[in-house]
Amino acid sequence: MTDTVAVAAHGLTKSYGHRHAIEQVTFEVERGQICGLLGPNGAGKTNTMRVLVGLSRPDSGTARLLGQPSRLAAGVLTRVGVAIDGPAFVPHLSGRRNLELAWRAGGRTWPPPALEESLQLAGLGEALGAKKVKSYSMGMRQRLMLAQALMGAPEALILDEPANGLDPGEVRTLREHLRRLAERGAAILISSHVLTEIELLATHVVVMNAGVVVTAGRLEDLLGTGAYEFEVDDVARAGKALRAVAGVRTVTAHGQRLSVTAPGCSVKELNHALVSAGVGVGSVRATRSLEEAFLGLVGQDDAVR
Amino acid sequence: MLYVELATQLRRLRSLILLALLVALPVLAGATEASKAGGRGGAATYSALNFAEGGLNFMVPVLFGLVVAVFGAILGGADREWGTLRYRYVQPVSRGRLMAGKWWALVICSALATATFLAVALLTGIMIFGWHPYHVSDSSDLSAASATWAILGAAGYVTVCLLSIGSIALALGLLLPRSVEALGITVGFLIGSAALDNVSAVHDIIVILPVHYWLRWTQLFGGDASQLLPGLAAQAAAIAVAFTAAYLLLMRRDPAA
Repeated sequence: MTDTVAVAAHGLTKSYGHRHAIEQVTFEVERGQICGLLGPNGAGKTNTMRVLVGLSRPDSGTARLLGQPSRLAAGVLTRVGVAIDGPAFVPHLSGRRNLELAWRAGGRTWPPPALEESLQLAGLGEALGAKKVKSYSMGMRQRLMLAQALMGAPEALILDEPANGLDPGEVRTLREHLRRLAERGAAILISSHVLTEIELLATHVVVMNAGVVVTAGRLEDLLGTGAYEFEVDDVARAGKALRAVAGVRTVTAHGQRLSVTAPGCSVKELNHALVSAGVGVGSVRATRSLEEAFLGLVGQDDAVR
Repeated sequence: MLYVELATQLRRLRSLILLALLVALPVLAGATEASKAGGRGGAATYSALNFAEGGLNFMVPVLFGLVVAVFGAILGGADREWGTLRYRYVQPVSRGRLMAGKWWALVICSALATATFLAVALLTGIMIFGWHPYHVSDSSDLSAASATWAILGAAGYVTVCLLSIGSIALALGLLLPRSVEALGITVGFLIGSAALDNVSAVHDIIVILPVHYWLRWTQLFGGDASQLLPGLAAQAAAIAVAFTAAYLLLMRRDPAA
């Protein structure tokens, strides 16, 4: 039976010395989902991805890929496409030769099943076979890395900042390609700093900050109904009042403004809670961009929850 | 992984230059000595077999050791320098397969270095000095067949000797941040060992170093061939220690590097 959960992190914790890189990270990505892994620098995104693909051993918790435990060089990785920590190739060989050696290193027969499709995405033209990788631009290396991750027609993809160095047209092509893969049943976990890109692409998001998962779920839940911004005269009291309302998930403050995620609540209900607590409400705005939601969730100094 | 390591390393410019040098040296030496064929330029000019034996004497220990140290150091350090190690693991390639690939690539590089040089030396020698029995001063000559076997035996022995220094370079390549540092230390060890080999004050130390036994291949040309056995044991011990260290270093290396 095919497991619908393709990527699973359960209680992952990893420390370096006394510093927690990630702590109790839990989320799942199902087949057909595109999950954006978001967070500011140092939030633990790359560390989480390293643990998921077995490059880092967690202190506690479990990571599973396609239903199997993930560990260093686990056999299940033949069915997973990985792009992590940026591109890395043998510089004195051509792009095509690099792809061939990467594929053969896994003990497989060249060519891989989705080679042509992934090369089309990479769009390297004659440079693919004629030029050494050391002469490639950053964008070319990035596209070659994506081709390497995709050429095996993977059932799951772990992509760390895949759009780095790509121009807008290439980003769009990548987005469409990933959508097609997801439609065919692949599970995609993708980290990015480009929130607008994730907003256009992802079906789900996991937001991390300081090594912990702040929120995880459907993107529309984070952005759509149930996302509000209140301007209030007493932030502390407002935060306390809103947290007491059933259905409120997160409350974060930015100056006199409060961002609230409460999918099960109406604005009227929340407003009533604030007024009942003696809080003056200056304005209220429903819906927000992913950027606003993200900044609301990871706002550090003035977060009230 | 053997294919991947060989395809990756043998196409590097430095590898091609080293192999070209191994081809050019006997050709240049033969061309220089061509006018002295027939033994007028010393023992090496008597026959192709003498020429090949003389060439081996010239190459061991330092020049051959240098060539194989380069291969060992880059096999150990290249993945980290290029950042490709993490992508090997997610292909997926286990540490055992990775290490086995590097080890067999080193074996092939060592054998290739010895075989390339000796093959070119023999061919050059045949063309310039002719195929005659192996001439030994103050003694009866070795037949061409016996000397050929001796050359082949010497090639095998030297290859094993080169593996010991190559293994040390491989371990240092895995330990140190850059291949060039591993190469520098290995070459320093090699030259230091060779230089101290005749210093009686450090004899007790020298006898445990693999380089001390490297020239014993000459015993195959009419000497006491049993003297090669302690040499082989010393190389095996050095290879075992260096390979174990290399594997442990790979186990400890950050896979995400």
